[in-house]
Formats: sequence, structure tokens, C-alpha cells
Amino acid sequence: MKPLIEMIGVTKDFLQGDNVIRALKETNFIAYESELIGIVGPSGSGKSTFLTILGGLQKPTTGRVLLNGKPFSELDIKEKSKIRLESIGFILQASNLIPFLTIKEQMVLYNKITKSKVNQTWMNDLFQKLDVEKLKDKYPNELSGGERQRSAIAKALYHQPSVIFADEPTASLDTNRAYEVVKLLAKETKEQKKATIMVTHDERMLEFCDKVYVIVDGVLSERTSVEPNNQTKTMNRENVSAVRS
Amino acid sequence: MFLAFKELKYSKTKFALIIAVVILISYLVYFLTSLANGLASSYTNAIEQWDSNQIVLTLDANDNMMMSYMGQDAYDGTEIKGSKAKLGLFPAVINNPLAENILDSRVDAYFFGIDNDSFIKPSEFSELTLTGNKVIVDEEIKKEGYKIGDFFGVTGSTQQYEIIGFSSKTTYQTAPVIFMSLEAWQTYRYGSTNTPDLFSGIIVRGEINNLPSSLISYTTEDYISTLPGYTAQVLTFSIMIIFLILITAFVLGIFIYVLTIQKTSMFGVMKAQGISNGYIGASVIIQTFLLVAFGIFVGLALTSLTGMFLSDVIPFAVNIMFYSIITTAFFLFAFFGGLFSVNAVLKIDPLKAIGG
Repeated sequence: MKPLIEMIGVTKDFLQGDNVIRALKETNFIAYESELIGIVGPSGSGKSTFLTILGGLQKPTTGRVLLNGKPFSELDIKEKSKIRLESIGFILQASNLIPFLTIKEQMVLYNKITKSKVNQTWMNDLFQKLDVEKLKDKYPNELSGGERQRSAIAKALYHQPSVIFADEPTASLDTNRAYEVVKLLAKETKEQKKATIMVTHDERMLEFCDKVYVIVDGVLSERTSVEPNNQTKTMNRENVSAVRS
Repeated sequence: MFLAFKELKYSKTKFALIIAVVILISYLVYFLTSLANGLASSYTNAIEQWDSNQIVLTLDANDNMMMSYMGQDAYDGTEIKGSKAKLGLFPAVINNPLAENILDSRVDAYFFGIDNDSFIKPSEFSELTLTGNKVIVDEEIKKEGYKIGDFFGVTGSTQQYEIIGFSSKTTYQTAPVIFMSLEAWQTYRYGSTNTPDLFSGIIVRGEINNLPSSLISYTTEDYISTLPGYTAQVLTFSIMIIFLILITAFVLGIFIYVLTIQKTSMFGVMKAQGISNGYIGASVIIQTFLLVAFGIFVGLALTSLTGMFLSDVIPFAVNIMFYSIITTAFFLFAFFGGLFSVNAVLKIDPLKAIGG
């Protein structure tokens, strides 16, 4: 399996007054193709720091990030921006859709910015897969939360990035919708051989992940087994099988 | 372009309101400009027709041509390279002797006494001869119902004058000009047929080489600025127009800035996705330009429409050069207004788009 994004010996320090706070302890991380990786952790634990360094939105204090085997974190802001546009897809909490563009135009925007041709076949494929075909001429505010997130996934996949960052993609959805969205995300990750990194508060969504990492106080560690947490969890697992079948 | 257009299309009401403000202000600016220009040209139309370089008056007339008297010796003593013409200038109130109420038919005018072969005579009437009381009058007089061959009288005199032609764009200090022979002018000016051979000034096309010491020369521009009220009026209008353009730039700048600030989080998400500052900034600037272009276009259309209906009533004159300068100024200042917002876009931190 091909490693798509790697973090090697990354740390991140912040200055708070005169004190140096180490928000991210030395971290090594690899995401391979076709992997859906879940990241969990309490707020303030360094989740955002981890994700933003991975996405090239801020520079690590030490260490480096490789994207598709090439150096990424060392590049200047402009180059990183360009690479993000081409190689990373974002699905964000409040959805990454632009309010005044129809779903179809959200995809076309990428072509306008990169001055490339609209890939009509691929767009239609995506719309079909994600069941948003009927929504393509609607504006985001005319859609339900689930429809919006499905469209956001379509947008994240449209430019065929190698890595997808999903930041709380299910935060605004009810349980069934949330399952549906994460299931789709898992399916597309496998089919298109992407590496998807999903930050979530929602333990129930980790069912679909190939690996789960926990960040606590700036330390990233892989959760090796899904520990039996409580009753709710078991109940949810039944729900999952119901949705899956 | 894509983003800018789509947003205009999506938020029609919001942008329509902004465009409405631009329309109103640009309409006001263009209208005021036409009015100022019309008023200024009604002061100077007759002078512009001379196409002169210098104007010679007596020193003791203190810039006032009506108080300047000179004779043939002054004319001969003024040595020039080019051509020169005598001009007698005096205000008059004309009336229509056939009118039911003569008082109602009074019109302010300026009598220009000139030699028949003078370059001051409107060129389209070169075949007409100014002799006796035959006169050429500005077409403004037409509005009073006069036709060619009609006679008019003048306050303070028993003379009557026959209209033999109507000239266009010959107003002086907003009043119509009446061209007549120097002899007829002197008869009016001195109230007798046995008059001294005097006139008011010398109009020079070319350069003055030598001037008698009792005379003084002005460039045509300097002479125009001595006309009572002319400079003050032009200055007032200019300042109003400049301020209106500045205000438009500010208003537009503030609108765009507020809209940009409203979209901070959206721009943050876009930047996180790798959409460059350049693309977002360009889209903000393009949007500003589109708003200005729409507003100005409608403002100009309204101005020309107003001009068509009102040009008989008010001094309304279209000047393409002024319009171009103002339009350029609008775009330039709106661009500066938009730059504030671009600066705001640059400062948006894409980090805030992810997590919290």
C-alpha cells in the first residue's frame, strides 16, 4: 500500500506570554491509500493543530510533512496553497460549500480557478454515487444537512485529490444521516484509493474507520482495539448493522 | 469573474440596493457636471467663438471691458503678429415693440459692435453685411418669438434693429449677444448719431509685439476668469463634484468592506482549500468594478435622458472629456475603496476554518 501523507517527527510549540507551550508532542503518522482514519480526542487536545499542520495551514516547529512522498511542510505559503487546491479535499463541519453557488457550480469553480476543463462524466458519476443528481442546480441553503454534506463530499472528491480531510463532517446531522455520510465517505475512500482523515467527536462514527488515533494533551497514539465503552455504544452498533444491511 | 458574477446573481436585492446608491450619486455627479459646464459655457460661448489668444483693454478699465474706451490710435499702436479686431461691448435690454405688453418682452442682451469683415462676426454669416441697424442675434432670442426680418427696440433709445440672422453658441455672461456694426453700436452707446470713434477692446489672434502704455493685454483664459462670478461658480461646482466622487468611493468602499467582512469565514474555508488570495482578491475587485460600471452606466443614461428633456430650460451641456475624467475618477476611487477589502481578505486566517 502506498503512503499518501506522512508526518515525521513533527512537534508544534506556541508562545503564550513568555512560556512556550508544546501543543503537539513529537508525532509520527502515516496514512496509506484506501484508509479511513479516525482522529478523536477532547477539545484542546491538539486535534486541530495536528490537522492544520498535516494540511499545510501552519508550519511545524520541528519535523516535516510529506504529501505523496514529496516534501510539503517546507514549501512556501503560495506553493502549499496550490498543492492543497490540487491534492487535498476538505469536508468541513459547516460544510465547505459556497452559499451563492449551486452544487454543480461548486465543482465548476475548481475548473475556473485552475483554468481546466470541466470533467462532465466524472461529475455525473459522482452525483450519482452520492445521490445528489437532483440537487445539482440547487443552492446549499435549499438542501438538508445530509444533502449538504453529501454534496460537500462530492466537491471534495471532484478534483480527485489524494488525501481528504474531514473535520467533524457529521456534527450537524442526526444519527441516521451521520451514518449515511460516513458510510459514503468510507466507500469512496476505498473505491478511489484515497487516504481520508476524519476528526470527530462522535465515537459512533469510528465503526467505519480502518484505524483510530487518539490525541490527548498533544500526544497522538493509535487505539489498537475498540474498547467496549458503555451500553450506548453497543446499541449503536446494532444500528450500524441495520444501516449497513 | 466566475465567483463575482455568481454572487451578484445570487444576492440580487443586496447588490441592487448598492447599485441604486451608485446610480443616484453618479446621476447627480454627471448632472451637476453638465449643468456646471452648461452654465460656464453660457458665460464664455461668445468668447470661445473668437478663437483668440489675447484681449486688450485700457489699463484704467480694471478688467472690465464695459468700462474700457479706446480709439483708432490705440488700435494702430497695438502691433501684433496675426490678426486683430475691434470690439465694442455694452449691455442692453431689448424689447418687442409689437408685444401687447412691452415690459413683458424685455430681454437682457449684450451688444457687440464689430467691423463687418471682422473675425468676430459669426463665420456662417460672411455673406450678410452688418450695416445700419441690421443685426445678427444669438438664437436664444428665437425663444422670445422673433424671426428673421423682425424688429426689436432697446431700452433708453428710440432706435429699432432688424434681425438678419440667428447665430448659435454666442452668449456672453449667460445673455445672448447681438452683433452690429461699430457705427450702430456707437450710436447706441453714446445716445447720439454724432459719436466719437471709440470702442471697448481689441481681440487678438496671434502674438502682441508692442502695446501702448495705456493698454493692457490678457490671455483669453485670464480674461474669462475676470468675468464676474465665473471663477467662483466654476470652483464651487468643481469642489462639489470632487467631493461627490470621493463620497461615492467611500460609500462603495464601505459597502464592499462590510460584505467582505460578512464573508470572512467563507473566505477562510476557501483559503484552507487552497484558493489563492489573488483569486479571492481579484473577485472582490471585479465585483466592485461591476457595481460601479452598472451604476455609472444607468447614471449616464439618466443624465442624457434628463438632458434631452431639460436642455431648453436649463443650461445643460454635455462634455465628453469631463464625463471621461469623472468616469475614470469613479473607477479609480472605487478601486481604492475595494483595496481595503482586499487587504481584509489577505488578513483572513485559513486556520480558523478548521477545528476550533
